Amino acid sequence: MPIHDQGYRHYSGDRALHGRGWWVIARHGMVAPLRERRFLALLLFAWSPFAVHAVQLYLGATLVRSAFFVATEETFHTFLSQQRLFVFFITIYVGAGLIASDRQANALQVYLSKPITRHDYIGGKLLTLAMFLAAVTWIPAMLLLLLQILFSGSLDFVLDHPRLVPAITLAATLQVVLAAVTMLALSSLSRSRRFAAMLYAGLVIFAGLLDTVLEGVTRNTAWMLISPQNTLLFIIRAIFDGPPDNVALLGSAVAALVALLIACVLILERRVRAVDVVA
Amino acid sequence: MSATRRMLEITLGDMLWGRRAVFMAIAAGVPVLLAVVLRVAFASGSATVVVNGSRLNTETMFGTAITLLYLRFIVPALGVYYGTSMIADEVEDKTITYLFVRPMRRGAIVLGKYLAYLVCVLAAVLPSAALVFFIMVPFANMGPLVDTFVRDLEQLAVGIAAYGSLFVLAGVTFKRPLVGGLIFVFGWEPIASALPGYVGQLTVAHYLQTGTAGMLGLVLASAAAVLLAMRTIEHREYVLEQ
Amino acid sequence: MIIATERLSKWYGQVSGLNDVTVSVPEGITGLLGPNGAGKSTFMKLVTGQLRPSTGTVRVFGEPIWGNPAQYHKLGFCPEQDAFYDHMTGREWLEALAELHGMNADRAHAAATRALEAVDLLDAGDRKIGGYSKGMRQRVKLAQAIAHDPALLILDEPLSGMDPLMRRRTIRLIKEWARAGKTVVVSSHILHEIEAMTSNILLMHNGRIVAEGDVHQIRALIDEHPHRVWIRAQDPHAVARLLLGGDDVSSVKFAEEGVIVETAKPDAFYTRLTALAASGEAGAIEEVTSPDDNLQAVFSYLVKQ
Repeated sequence: MPIHDQGYRHYSGDRALHGRGWWVIARHGMVAPLRERRFLALLLFAWSPFAVHAVQLYLGATLVRSAFFVATEETFHTFLSQQRLFVFFITIYVGAGLIASDRQANALQVYLSKPITRHDYIGGKLLTLAMFLAAVTWIPAMLLLLLQILFSGSLDFVLDHPRLVPAITLAATLQVVLAAVTMLALSSLSRSRRFAAMLYAGLVIFAGLLDTVLEGVTRNTAWMLISPQNTLLFIIRAIFDGPPDNVALLGSAVAALVALLIACVLILERRVRAVDVVA
Repeated sequence: MSATRRMLEITLGDMLWGRRAVFMAIAAGVPVLLAVVLRVAFASGSATVVVNGSRLNTETMFGTAITLLYLRFIVPALGVYYGTSMIADEVEDKTITYLFVRPMRRGAIVLGKYLAYLVCVLAAVLPSAALVFFIMVPFANMGPLVDTFVRDLEQLAVGIAAYGSLFVLAGVTFKRPLVGGLIFVFGWEPIASALPGYVGQLTVAHYLQTGTAGMLGLVLASAAAVLLAMRTIEHREYVLEQ
Repeated sequence: MIIATERLSKWYGQVSGLNDVTVSVPEGITGLLGPNGAGKSTFMKLVTGQLRPSTGTVRVFGEPIWGNPAQYHKLGFCPEQDAFYDHMTGREWLEALAELHGMNADRAHAAATRALEAVDLLDAGDRKIGGYSKGMRQRVKLAQAIAHDPALLILDEPLSGMDPLMRRRTIRLIKEWARAGKTVVVSSHILHEIEAMTSNILLMHNGRIVAEGDVHQIRALIDEHPHRVWIRAQDPHAVARLLLGGDDVSSVKFAEEGVIVETAKPDAFYTRLTALAASGEAGAIEEVTSPDDNLQAVFSYLVKQ
């Protein structure tokens, strides 16, 4: 036919199987912050400790035979601890508006009217934040390990410290999961990104401050359980250094974090719905 | 001024009865609870703090609470949150249009909101600090500490004004001022304070602790920041996202 | 003129929002018409002082509007965006905004009540805006624009989200305001809404003014585009045969129950048609309509240029 139909044509191609919605949401969620120069600058700055440690490893492996420059398990533990600050800022930058902005724009109804489940939605949002957090925790830590192997020219370091890779992975995973799940839950509580950010800042910083004061006064380390951040640090120390003397406290710390994560999941289950009832 | 007064009244209602009041309530209430816990712990003998071989008592702990809790966290955090949200919230929610088409100078919006912030946060934080003082310091020991207590309250008041004005200016100027504000308060200030030389002077915290001259400078700087914010909003365009 | 712009342009970075617009808006109702992205909202934001012109000038009641807050006593703006203080009731919101116009509490309360009544929201005035339906939100937005009784109303898509009954009522309201002496500039991309309110239009496309003035005059000026006239007659063939002879007819086509005639000289054609109908030479002529003499035709023709 010489004249072609200009009307609407129905899509007749392949459709992805159910259950891939989370990846679509995550993919698009990751692209948006990467378009902002401010965020790219923050990510770049978050890799500055990596650069410092890389130089340290180089010096330790080549020029200077000083204990300071020699890599140990503590090097990687210190690195992950230092990245806490960037985890905090990236969590707020990316995470505060993940659900809050959607609630503000009434976009939840749009999302959940598509053939995706609430779990797809939550999973996709979680993955968005988790990927950025992994990019400043697990990835640079593993790259540091790789650099250590490359600079030393042998696998001895990894073979001598067989639990280092699992320790880095577990510690980074805990950092990422705790930050991502908590922030997502707080983001679902409000339509204001700013409000969610301040709730998170309060939970991390204020609780940490209270713990410091109470521990200092009462000399009882159990107060750390009120601070998710300090509880996590205690657990990560146990991962790298082995179980502490007070094993019961370690158990309580793990239980406290698990309880927090369960509470966050329950909040998400309750708050992520297509319909909002306004009294 | 009447436009400023009207804006102040509207913002007061919003700050006191809206969801934002949550932060003020927590900021004011938690230190009081903490003071009660510490006082009970000290009274029962289950708490001791020893520094350089000397046991600290609750009076000394009060000074630590002012510095650590109020000046390092509560005051800056409230300044960041309320300061940056004054205009940025209105722009993000697209309600700023309704304010801009009223017969009042745009600067009056900023001034009215800033004054409302001052009133609310001062009314929350100063009584909280006072309560903490009365809880932690035994009545018999209060007399000699009154001057110190009054100076502490002055520090808090100036800090509230200074952080608020700085972040009002940030809120009027930048699109996403909250993250930058948090980086300044919880990233830059602690790091700069620990660095040698003049670096520490690039913080608000430094001038809060350098006595009357420093605080007077902060008051003047706060006024200048608010004036600059008022001028900026008069000349700036706010293109709302569609 | 109430609003006067002179070579007004606005660009956002590399994107041109408004391009060299010189118009004057008289008293009465003016319809601002154009597809999405035509520049209607940009024009309204410039006229209400939300944006500063990149070049050119805009004057409202003879004075510049940017940085001139005193002008807002005479101006009421109903923006397009759906943005409110959801935690406030409709009445609280209206009273707060009225107080920002300098009214004391009693006057603000009275003004809010009048405005709520005008938009049929009096019963819902004490409910939180967050619980309003889309149509109610649109009406309370309209209410805040009129509460202080301004002389100039700028309404950006005011009928959006309203049900048909409320649309009719709002159109009637707008006409009443104009009859009461207010000047109203109302934008829409829905042509028949504008047609129902006014024949005085500003037609925009791609940031430029394509046409302004009375829609019928604009239509008449488009000489190159022939008028189409639909005639329903007992004997369409006879009508066609008799009409084809004149030099005022460009073409004749047969359509359902009648003929469609294209003419470039509508005045001459209508005179001949009237004579033909009166003489009965072609049988009874039952109906004559011009599908062309409306805004849709003008719009479609001009926008496609």
